[in-house]
Amino acid sequence: MKLLLKNLYNSEFSILLRNSINFRPIYYGRVKKNYPTSISDAFLWRTDNGYKTLFKFSDILNLFYKIDNSYVEIHFFSKEHKLIKIEKINDLNLSNEFEITSKYLNDITDYGTFYIYHYSTNTKNLGNKDSISNRCYTGYSKNNNLYSFVHGNINTKYANIMSEATKDLHFSNLTNLSLFKNQIYTIQKNFQNFDKNELFFTNPTKFKINFSIGNKNFKLKPYNSILIEVKNPIISIKSNCMFLRPTIFSYEGKYFDVHHS
Amino acid sequence: MNFFYGINNNLFKSEIQIPLFQNRDLKKLNLRLFKTYPEHNKWILKEVENKKESENFYILRNQDILDNEIFFLADEKIFDEFNDKKLENFNNFTDTRPAFRANFKIYLDQGGFSSFQSEYPYSMITKKGTLLSSISSLANSRADQNYVLIKNIFEEPIEENFNAYLVNYKTKSIEEQFQIKTNYINCIEISSKLIKPEIFLITDKYLGVPMYVSIKNNHLSFEHTHPPHEYIQSENKFIKVSNLKKEINEIIA
Repeated sequence: MKLLLKNLYNSEFSILLRNSINFRPIYYGRVKKNYPTSISDAFLWRTDNGYKTLFKFSDILNLFYKIDNSYVEIHFFSKEHKLIKIEKINDLNLSNEFEITSKYLNDITDYGTFYIYHYSTNTKNLGNKDSISNRCYTGYSKNNNLYSFVHGNINTKYANIMSEATKDLHFSNLTNLSLFKNQIYTIQKNFQNFDKNELFFTNPTKFKINFSIGNKNFKLKPYNSILIEVKNPIISIKSNCMFLRPTIFSYEGKYFDVHHS
Repeated sequence: MNFFYGINNNLFKSEIQIPLFQNRDLKKLNLRLFKTYPEHNKWILKEVENKKESENFYILRNQDILDNEIFFLADEKIFDEFNDKKLENFNNFTDTRPAFRANFKIYLDQGGFSSFQSEYPYSMITKKGTLLSSISSLANSRADQNYVLIKNIFEEPIEENFNAYLVNYKTKSIEEQFQIKTNYINCIEISSKLIKPEIFLITDKYLGVPMYVSIKNNHLSFEHTHPPHEYIQSENKFIKVSNLKKEINEIIA
């Protein structure tokens, strides 16, 4: 009976209700699979307005699990979450980098998201409950100036590390929702003295989300992303997503800064 | 409880914006800003006055910051509660989820600037240990200069030297060794020839937050690396990290 109640209390429906009334809210989901998983953040690529992007990632399977023949796939999506291309990278170093330019993305001058998954057929050091998450670092260069780096911010999708057959399946329930737009997140930064500020949001869930900044309302379809220019000195985001934190670009003169909120 | 810090040396200037609101609740709290620093084996407590530039933020500019100082929010009871022999968890105002953070910006006189949302949690200051960070994950071989800043805060008011190493994981050798100190923000220049996948930064006695700075043509990049356990989500993460640290610690043993 106790187990039944516990399961009921922690069921997806119960969590949705708890989040909706802010009673012991649960912000994140957990991977509950019987196979090793590779979790990816939703990383931003930019090729708009003179930007290019540099992605730095570690060979986690080698570093922590001594698996030396793994590879990664990087899946690039448009801001509407249309697949643009998949890059498979073999022969990994402990630390690796990959440059994303407009030319690389079939001459697309825009922004969107990408995900990284680690795969290996060598599973001798991996248990069924093992789960890795490559938080990585993305650098943004504007007009060929120095890359400014920011780390990954939100677990979004995951895949089976060892299954070739299902490698195109990327499950996600890692960020929870509320029925209402009752989640408020205020960025702890003063935006006042910059020439321009942009916030990059991605929907980390498989459901549509609603959010507002001041009196402006936004809707984001699953895994879609949006870049929003903001003018207020203090930015509060009201949302039905339990964890919606943007990446921030702040500009002053010919210089810019990028960081997570 | 979180502490905040900046840097003020001959290379970098900094500014810290310490918010007076929580990130899930804009309600203002009537808290004051204090700083403490170690001197003759005691923590010296001082109130930081006249730095509240708006109802929402305390703003500390470069001239308000020293490399051995840490800042925190508290009310007037701190004068009775403060222990000059050991930092304590004075209040829970900054215990929030997501973490309560201050914007920590570094800048150059020529105009370049870079920042991240920064905090040093109380839970870290009570522990000794070793930090581990991959150099090439954030250092940039395309930049003119690369530095790693290591901020340590330890609960006791000690100014003790300890070692930081750049080790080669493949050859199991020490490439460079540096002396750094506790309760300080240390600054180490990284030679571009050591920005390689097999080079790791490790310390031998105390923890710290490693932050990487790259400079080129007055542009800056400033970001911290994740602690290694963030790469593993399963329950065995601390075992995996401990095994890796043990392996790398053998290089400096």
